[in-house]
Amino acid sequence: MSARLARAASSLAVIAVLLAAWELAVGYGLLKAYQFPPPSKIARGFAELSLTGFPTGVSLWAHTGVTIWRVLQGYVAAILLAVPLGLLIGALPVLDKLSAPLIVFCRSVATLSLLPLVIVWFGAGELTKVVLIGYGCFWTMLSNVIAGVRYVDPVLVRAARSFGLQGPELYREVVLPAALPRIFAGARMALGVGFMVIVGAEMIGTIQGLGALIMEARTFYRSEITIVGMLVIGLLGFLISSGLAGLERLLMPWASNLDQVRR
Amino acid sequence: MSASTIRSNDIALGVIGTLAVIMLWEAAVRTGVIDRGIFPSPSLAIAAATERLTARQLGENLSWSLARVFSGFLLGALAGVVVGILAGWYRRFGVVVSPLVELLRPIPPLAWIPLAIIWFGLGEPSKFFIIFLGAFFPVVTAAYQGMRGIDPMLLRAGQTMGLSGVPLLLRVAIPAAAPDLATGLRIGWGLSFGVLVAAELIAADRGLGYMIINERNTGGSVGVIIVGILLIGALNLLTDAAIGVAIRHWVGRWHGS
Repeated sequence: MSARLARAASSLAVIAVLLAAWELAVGYGLLKAYQFPPPSKIARGFAELSLTGFPTGVSLWAHTGVTIWRVLQGYVAAILLAVPLGLLIGALPVLDKLSAPLIVFCRSVATLSLLPLVIVWFGAGELTKVVLIGYGCFWTMLSNVIAGVRYVDPVLVRAARSFGLQGPELYREVVLPAALPRIFAGARMALGVGFMVIVGAEMIGTIQGLGALIMEARTFYRSEITIVGMLVIGLLGFLISSGLAGLERLLMPWASNLDQVRR
Repeated sequence: MSASTIRSNDIALGVIGTLAVIMLWEAAVRTGVIDRGIFPSPSLAIAAATERLTARQLGENLSWSLARVFSGFLLGALAGVVVGILAGWYRRFGVVVSPLVELLRPIPPLAWIPLAIIWFGLGEPSKFFIIFLGAFFPVVTAAYQGMRGIDPMLLRAGQTMGLSGVPLLLRVAIPAAAPDLATGLRIGWGLSFGVLVAAELIAADRGLGYMIINERNTGGSVGVIIVGILLIGALNLLTDAAIGVAIRHWVGRWHGS
């Protein structure tokens, strides 16, 4: 424990020294304040952003809320579609073989490359962003659900069979619990994908959301606001991934070999 | 799943499934179930693309995209490998580098676009920088974790055989960390590619991503957009497979396949 504490202290020290050096370098004119706004200016940017907002009236929290809401809509829709479909495809090997190349291809399609097409379909509004997030999350989730069901340890299945389990009962009692860790890992990856996509999608055709905030701030030469936005995006991503990792340990204590399950 | 375990009838089924979906799509458009103006069928899309694009235009956009993603990925991965390995091997360097990496890693590469434009302007360097970051963070993390996770027994055995310092690093530690490195490189490639497309959509005047967003902004043909999307997808799939094979070959030298 004291080793971890020492490590955390040294990490903080490294960061503090760097921030101080940065502040001084701008103060002495070695770095341009516009390109590298010093920490003190970033702190003022944060205060302005959370009190009056940028553009005025849209606070940091409003931007964050809009981004989270967009991601959630696309993510939940993708999960609701991908889990049943994946369980079905995973249970029927023929279906899996028929669909495998298509699923691999759809997963390879860069989600943001769909943006022009989705704009043609749904305009440049909210729906477009939700659809893009949904697309990215869906294929990540689907391929993980299928893999989870398909690659259950055959020894488990054979053991269950010799205990007389078969058909739907075997699926429910053995295959599903064994596949759950992989499915949950897929849900975690999918949220990461959704978070990645939203930042790009918000850079086009909107003024609300964290992606729009950092892009707008650049247009108005407010680099310190851009950096505050980036830090909030990073923090949000970090909180989501560590939160889900904790939830995973809590919900599925039997998935002790998760690192082997994950590719 | 290794290539040899995929039996030929599995491939046949895959081909049948893919063809069935393509034919269904074609039929739905031909019979008017789907409006051909907003979602043309494959044959119509290809016809529109051959009419509106010359091979030279397409080739130019394609080579710009490939040049960007390869240069950004190569340098980003190289930097990631070097920094990650050094940080894992030299304790003091690791203490300085790892908090920085941990701090910046959760920021998605796309969120760097505005700052990259502030630093480097709207030209090529800003796109290079973002693709570089897309490769750098997964690779540096994987390299560092790979180095930290080496079985100490291997290192001690190496020392017993008289290796120390740089030879121990090159001949024992790096091969032992190779599987983690390989995973990081693969993830880095995927991320670089996704970032490339986004960067070309948001701020570029050539490349495949620019080609499709420009087609939509100038009110061109949806067929061209669809062909562009499929082309980008195919490119991603092919390059990812090629890198997968190359990596397996490289790691296989030490760890079997």
